[in-house]
Amino acid sequence: HVETGVKKQQQVVCINNINFQRKSVIGFVELTIFPTVVNLNRIKLNSKQCRIYRVRVNELEAPFIYNDPTLEVCHHESKQRNLNYFSSAYTAAVSAVDPDAGHGELVIKVPSELWKQGDDLKVLKVYIEFSLDQPKGGLHFVVPDVEGSMAERGAHVFSFGYQNSTRFWFPCVDSYSELCTWKLEFTVDASMVAVSCGDLVETIYTHDMRKKTFHYVLPIPTAAPNISLAVGPFEILVDPYMHEVTHFCLPQLLPLLKHSMSYLHEIFEFYEEILTCRYPYACFKTVFVDEAYVQVSSYASMSIFSTNLLHSAMIIDQTPLTRRCLAQALAQQFFGCFISRMSWADEWVLKGISGYIYGLYLKKTFGVNEYRHWIKEELDKIVEYELKMGGVLLHPTFSGGKEKDNPTPHLHFSIKHPHTLSWEYYKMFQCKAHLVMRLIENRISMEFMLQVFNKLLSLASTASSQKYQSHMWSQMLLSTHAFLKSISNVSGKDIGPLIKQWVDQSAVVKFFGSFAFNRKRNVLELEIRQDYTSSGTQKYVGPIKVTVQELDGSFNHTLQIEENSLKHDIPCHSKSRRNKKKKIPLMNGEEVDMDLSAMDADSPLLWIRIDPDMSILRKVEFEQADFMWQYQLRYERDVVAQEESISALEKFPTAASRLALTDILEQEQCFYKVRMQACFCLAKIANAMVSTWQGPPAMKSLFTRMFCCKSCPNIVKTNHFLSFQSYFLQKTMPVAMALLRDVQNLCPKDVLNFILDLIKYNDNRKNKFSDNYYRAELIEALTNSLTPAISITNEVRTVDNLNADVRLILEEITRFLNMEKLLPSFRNTITVSCLSAIRQLQKNGHIPSDASLFKSYAKYGHFVDVRVAALEALVDYTRVERSSVDLQWLLEMAQNDPAHYVRHKILGMLCKNPPFTKTTDPAPPFTKTTDSALCNEALVDQLWKLMNSGTSHDWRLRCDAVNLYYALFGLTRPSCLPLPELGLVLNLKEKKAVLNPTIKPELGVGPVMDTPFNTMEDEDIDMETVHDSQAFIHHHLNLLERPSTPGERKEPPSVEQSMLSMPATPVPSFPKETTPLSSKHGGEHGHHHHHHHHEHKKKKKKHKHKHKHKHKHESKDKEKDRERDNSQAYSNSPASGRSLRSPSLSD
Amino acid sequence: MADPAVVSGGALNAGGRGSGGKAATSPAENYHLARRRTLQVVVSALLTECGFDSAEKAAVETLTEMMQSYITEIGRCAKAYCEHTARSIPTLSDAVVTLIEMGFKADTLPLYAKRSQRMVITAPPVTNPPVTPKALSAGQKRTHPAHIPCHFPEFPDPHTYIKTPTFREPVSDYQVVREKAASQRRDVERALTRFMAKTGETESLFKDDITAFPLIAAQPSTIPYLSALLPSELELQTLEETDSSEQDDQTDGENAVGNMISDDPGADKENAMLPLSAVVPAAKASEDNVIDNPYLRPVKKPKVRRKK
Repeated sequence: HVETGVKKQQQVVCINNINFQRKSVIGFVELTIFPTVVNLNRIKLNSKQCRIYRVRVNELEAPFIYNDPTLEVCHHESKQRNLNYFSSAYTAAVSAVDPDAGHGELVIKVPSELWKQGDDLKVLKVYIEFSLDQPKGGLHFVVPDVEGSMAERGAHVFSFGYQNSTRFWFPCVDSYSELCTWKLEFTVDASMVAVSCGDLVETIYTHDMRKKTFHYVLPIPTAAPNISLAVGPFEILVDPYMHEVTHFCLPQLLPLLKHSMSYLHEIFEFYEEILTCRYPYACFKTVFVDEAYVQVSSYASMSIFSTNLLHSAMIIDQTPLTRRCLAQALAQQFFGCFISRMSWADEWVLKGISGYIYGLYLKKTFGVNEYRHWIKEELDKIVEYELKMGGVLLHPTFSGGKEKDNPTPHLHFSIKHPHTLSWEYYKMFQCKAHLVMRLIENRISMEFMLQVFNKLLSLASTASSQKYQSHMWSQMLLSTHAFLKSISNVSGKDIGPLIKQWVDQSAVVKFFGSFAFNRKRNVLELEIRQDYTSSGTQKYVGPIKVTVQELDGSFNHTLQIEENSLKHDIPCHSKSRRNKKKKIPLMNGEEVDMDLSAMDADSPLLWIRIDPDMSILRKVEFEQADFMWQYQLRYERDVVAQEESISALEKFPTAASRLALTDILEQEQCFYKVRMQACFCLAKIANAMVSTWQGPPAMKSLFTRMFCCKSCPNIVKTNHFLSFQSYFLQKTMPVAMALLRDVQNLCPKDVLNFILDLIKYNDNRKNKFSDNYYRAELIEALTNSLTPAISITNEVRTVDNLNADVRLILEEITRFLNMEKLLPSFRNTITVSCLSAIRQLQKNGHIPSDASLFKSYAKYGHFVDVRVAALEALVDYTRVERSSVDLQWLLEMAQNDPAHYVRHKILGMLCKNPPFTKTTDPAPPFTKTTDSALCNEALVDQLWKLMNSGTSHDWRLRCDAVNLYYALFGLTRPSCLPLPELGLVLNLKEKKAVLNPTIKPELGVGPVMDTPFNTMEDEDIDMETVHDSQAFIHHHLNLLERPSTPGERKEPPSVEQSMLSMPATPVPSFPKETTPLSSKHGGEHGHHHHHHHHEHKKKKKKHKHKHKHKHKHESKDKEKDRERDNSQAYSNSPASGRSLRSPSLSD
Repeated sequence: MADPAVVSGGALNAGGRGSGGKAATSPAENYHLARRRTLQVVVSALLTECGFDSAEKAAVETLTEMMQSYITEIGRCAKAYCEHTARSIPTLSDAVVTLIEMGFKADTLPLYAKRSQRMVITAPPVTNPPVTPKALSAGQKRTHPAHIPCHFPEFPDPHTYIKTPTFREPVSDYQVVREKAASQRRDVERALTRFMAKTGETESLFKDDITAFPLIAAQPSTIPYLSALLPSELELQTLEETDSSEQDDQTDGENAVGNMISDDPGADKENAMLPLSAVVPAAKASEDNVIDNPYLRPVKKPKVRRKK
């Protein structure tokens, strides 16, 4: 599909040295490529942050250029501050190096000797030596600061990234659609293990016996983004059930690993059975690492997990979560790693299939109830997101090159590339993808669905075994088209409308339903309206299933939603006959006795459900009487129906609702998550009924009956947690009860004492499970019981005026938090709860608001969950107190924290709970921009810098920064900035000498750049013709005449400058006819204009070149660490400098 | 007359033992003191007899000491003579020989005793001989059983071997037990955490009173995941205890659940999330002991390059 002109055959990656002390890596790659065009004169590869020392093509030194427009998206002198501008420039920058379009940061000029070889298109071997020094992305080093050797310290390193990010750690064609076979060699300390993709062929000591080399071969054609590496002093566990599966964990965690992995073989068996296909790779490895980027990441034949997923047999809550993660990882092995995607637009197919078969696993392992509950949860999530943020488009088409029609104009980022997507959007994208797969299943049946998967897998595995016919390998790439064709071949059904509705189009459907019963005609008159005008909604036309439960039984009706028909008449089967005593048949064939006294005497209708199978991505707001919801809750056996009725009953605070909920709570056969939900609903109803509520506080007697001793009802039984359903209910009920409020809107004294007693009498000595989650929930219950303190405003909070109840609560929290230091709980759940409790105490004015405690817990070196909890409290503090110091502190951490996950979390939490919001935002609870002192020019500049250049090493973080900028300032120029003209003048004063000449082009182009899609046109200009154009060069030569550039000679065009006029254009390429010498200048200036001076001198002293260069690096490194921001640091990278090494020099 | 007595009395109190200040003295000590006091009275009488009106305390003391030594020597010597002749109780002749031996003219003694100006000293009040405190009497002293000859030592005091079980009704009321356990644990925890807070760095929630709710300061650790993930020793201990008692009936239940899963996939299986025990079937593990896994293979030695 590619215009690259090359086809990768094989790639060798060899990392000779990994230095944990310096956090550096040295190695080389060798790519074997087939030219697919004659006279191939340049090769484009992806490489970020690597220092490239030399490039050879077939043993001949080759000059190269390194240019990465994503390092600094908008030129740093630009005063543009609107997000529209940034987004389009960023998209253009990413496009400029997009491997799918045949672009790359690294452009290698094929030595002219080789392109004279003519038509026979011989294999080229491209050899690249590179190193990485303190990589900020791609590879993550974890080096604990303790005594001992690196192995004793548990130091490890692993690769990570969001989507295709392999270019961060070695040069490659970083595309999911560029497959090749791999040879991977890693030389590591003898005490370490290097785990990578493919089969470990052998491990050999080096000659000094201090190191060993791991040789891996991956014979299955694999895309570079699916290659990974993890090196560390891992403990090795061979899976006892499957010897070809090996697990790795950090020292001391082996017992946890054994327990957590004891279940993996069942997941393997499940997938292999339903797909009727062997696991495609010869082996599988799981590696558990600290400071993981995401919980689960899958690569060819290996998966990297967060070490925090490991748990012992005593932990209940983590167990299903860990198993889910394993199942996700394994599903992605088949679809995502083995079968890769043809293009970014086809991503949804792979995410959809892997998510779908993961859902099948959930259904099999955790039961139908859990599965349906999960589907409902996912559906609610996507519906909520789309209604709030606008549609999620699964299959964007970017047909015409010069499209004006942005498929997603409602978004503040482009969905053209994975790297420009907001993380939240991407999560929702995956969610929608698997839901759509389920819709397809509904349409063509699961059997056909699995047949399609099997067909895709067999095609791919046939193709993968064709070692020397790499053209066959494209069978391993899945496209939307191929998938749909396969579905149509297998099932013979046309799913076109479905695909059009949900895949080619964004948004969800929003239904409003109501009904009337026509007694005369014995007909149910159903009215279904749609809202398809508000954001994130679309119009639905087609069938919809409606289930009506009547006295005579349950009946399904399929209605056609058409353009103009709102009303549907559904004939009823039964006349109203409430006096006949007869059992009522349910949908599942069960017959039950019901007390029909509550229902309307004239109507035979018990309840009505619209789209009960969730076969439309929709939100339904349906109106039916409260007793109907109550019947539905009690007697409908589908958990989704039960959950829907619980949410509906919140609006009916009556004694009957109370009774229905209480009955559900007590019913042991009922799905435990429904019962948990009922707890919260009951609390809400009780609060609404506070003046008429009879008897003890809601749920108290129920809890006493279920969990307290028979002889002394005020004391809870000692814990045993043998029934997990009861365990979850026991955890939830106190939390819900604490939400109860009396007439004064305070938590009833009864309830508080009850919770304090639960804490007091909690006894876990005889329990084989840990009670840490239970205790954490009890603290959460205490937190929920808090209400705002009544006091004179501005009164200083002191110990003396502490409310007596609060004093008791504080006493418990202090003790819990202190005990945790001595006996830490699993994942420090108790500390996490305590921190949020303390923040609530502060927020409600019981204790003085203070950030220092949270800051100390947020520091690097605490367990990640604790840090995130502390940071969440800090983010909240920052908003409430409008503290600019703390906002700075947070932003500082978001830029510099060693753990990528924490940085991502900080920005994510700031987006969710922003210190202030843009004025256009209609949300009233937040401070308006104009009101907030936090919103000032310095902050705008800081955030701009963060997304423009500060986060170039992590796509996800950059998109987070963009989100934050959007949340704070919106799409247009922030209102707190002075008028553009004024800003320009001010800045001129500051940096007069530098800015003067550059302003002209910016002014000239500025207005054009505001319309995003002009940049795309620029992109389509053929670079080489541009370069050949004398006028173009002349233009740039003029630009160069500026005081800030020390170079005295006439320079060929500098890339950065050219980017001024053509934002984010991938300029760097050599003029066709230039000699190697002059082309190298072009490259050098690609990112090196700060060093013109040195380069110039160097050129004159050719014989001293090598030595001099080395020296320069050292001094440069030092200075870069100190004062330069990221982008400049990268632009200092010698990658381009090294390109000086022309063939003549290397000899 | 009164004077020396006073003097001697004072001397007595300041007696050489240095324990004069002590009010409570043992009966044996009292006995000694009384004897010495008598001697002092004798010395004082003799001095008066010789015509002294008064005497210095120290002089009386010295003379008393001399007299005591003299008498002691007589006694010792007499005892030696008597034992020399294999007797146990000295006779008059022993005393006479002793006196003679010490250079005293024994025949002058009766005359001296009957001298006219001698003073008669009243006999010292009879003090009770020191009584050894009676041992704690507990029960009846046992007599020898029949097979033990009566000359064998008697049984020691009964309290040394008799045991009296002290027995109190244990608190069986469940509520009280729970209450006690709970408050005990709480007290221990509170005391411990307060101690830790007092002895280390703390953070405080209040500015005005930093001791009110002391929080042990959060210390970052170098490898935070270890303490967060690994079960604490206390928990492991609990696990062992419960395992030994409950394991048997537990495993049965779990197996049943496992079977259910594999048998009918459609069934309701909320329990399926049970952490299945990590125990690998022993048979399977032993069956194929030789696991061929590339990560378990020995590391190869490098090939030695031939020198050119």
